[in-house]
Amino acid sequence: MTETVISTQGLSKVYPQVRAVDGLDLNVPRGAVYGFLGRNGAGKTTTIKTLLGLTHPSGGSAQVLGFDIRKDTIAILERTGFVSETKQLFDSLTPAQLVRFNRGYFPKWSDALAARYADLFEIPMQTPFAKLSLGNRTKVCHLLALCQGAELLLMDEPTAGLDPVMTDLLLRVLIEDHVNEGRTVFISSHHLSELEKISDWIGIIDRGKLLLETRLEDIRLNFRMVTVSGDSVPKLSAPNLVSQRSSDKFHRFLVTRDADEFAAQLRGQGATVLEVSPVNLGEVFLGLAGKETSCTSGNAGAIPATV
Amino acid sequence: MLLHVNTSSGVPVYLQIASQVKHAVAAGALKQGDALLSVRKLAAELRVNPNTVARAYQDLEREGLIRTVPGGGTYVADHQPGLLKSEKLRRLRPLARQLAVESSQLRLSPDDALKLVQEELDDLGGRR
Repeated sequence: MTETVISTQGLSKVYPQVRAVDGLDLNVPRGAVYGFLGRNGAGKTTTIKTLLGLTHPSGGSAQVLGFDIRKDTIAILERTGFVSETKQLFDSLTPAQLVRFNRGYFPKWSDALAARYADLFEIPMQTPFAKLSLGNRTKVCHLLALCQGAELLLMDEPTAGLDPVMTDLLLRVLIEDHVNEGRTVFISSHHLSELEKISDWIGIIDRGKLLLETRLEDIRLNFRMVTVSGDSVPKLSAPNLVSQRSSDKFHRFLVTRDADEFAAQLRGQGATVLEVSPVNLGEVFLGLAGKETSCTSGNAGAIPATV
Repeated sequence: MLLHVNTSSGVPVYLQIASQVKHAVAAGALKQGDALLSVRKLAAELRVNPNTVARAYQDLEREGLIRTVPGGGTYVADHQPGLLKSEKLRRLRPLARQLAVESSQLRLSPDDALKLVQEELDDLGGRR
């Protein structure tokens, strides 16, 4: 059995106005690149903060690297590289000073790596943090997280504010120096195409609930969009049916497996099966977390545009 | 070897990698005994998950196109797969069917479709 680096059982975080995290059961295996997908406000950031012990859960339990999030915050923080969504650090310190301040907290800190990333990311190391651009602040946050020798990286919207060249560079560094070394990377994002390339596990969260957790490979091999036409909306409830969209006489079903059997059932109800096609991550995400959208009869049979 | 991947194409990344390697071998850009990048290096190069590259290499190895020396890298195999002709045709048929379907949907004449295939074959032949 694969070792689990993050696992949560019914984890919840309730704020006065909202259930930000609502009964979450996450399982992140060691060595995975886990893409944590969700819309704005879906609960991604609250989940990450709760995992790090930066905010207390309202219910449920969770272990990070085998440590209890309610009791062992320090042990978790020592072993986890964290890039926060807000990218805020001490304004008056320069990146060079921030490095000196941070390194003391982490027994496995690498000065060599810090020097390399400062150079590679072209970070102005002597400028106070407050005077840095958003892009440079983000890079400083990455440098600090990546040099800790952490077993686990928790990155909240890591590429927000980075230009395409820097985004590409960051992905390369992540794979070369961290994924290739067997470290676990947990990335929250809504940049589907980035996640689709580097992730091997995907979790989709919406309104605090985990809608899907699977290997990306499983989506490619087994998930299918079944498009049919028929005058009445076929009524099917199957455990493998994830979402259903109808517009006019066209109906689309996203299924997680056994698509051919599913299509046969629809045929049995008198529908004409137009297409059984593989789906990409964007289509799965829209199918699960997207709003009802109408597809016109003109393009209902066409391969859906990618996100 | 310059590979590239496109996540919006709908084709799984490991298939894109495998088919580009096959193409490079077929076109003579990669020759018998040539070394391929290691899984880790190619993953970093393409910014894709190492498992994806490993999967592509596994498929290529199973098909006999490349061989992996334990601890010593990955090479284009010396003897390209000696399959029965019937097996070769069986593997190619899905692609032929797809071409036939697409070209009839685009209302291309069979001659135009065949000419396209001939051009691609000539192109490969010319580069050898």
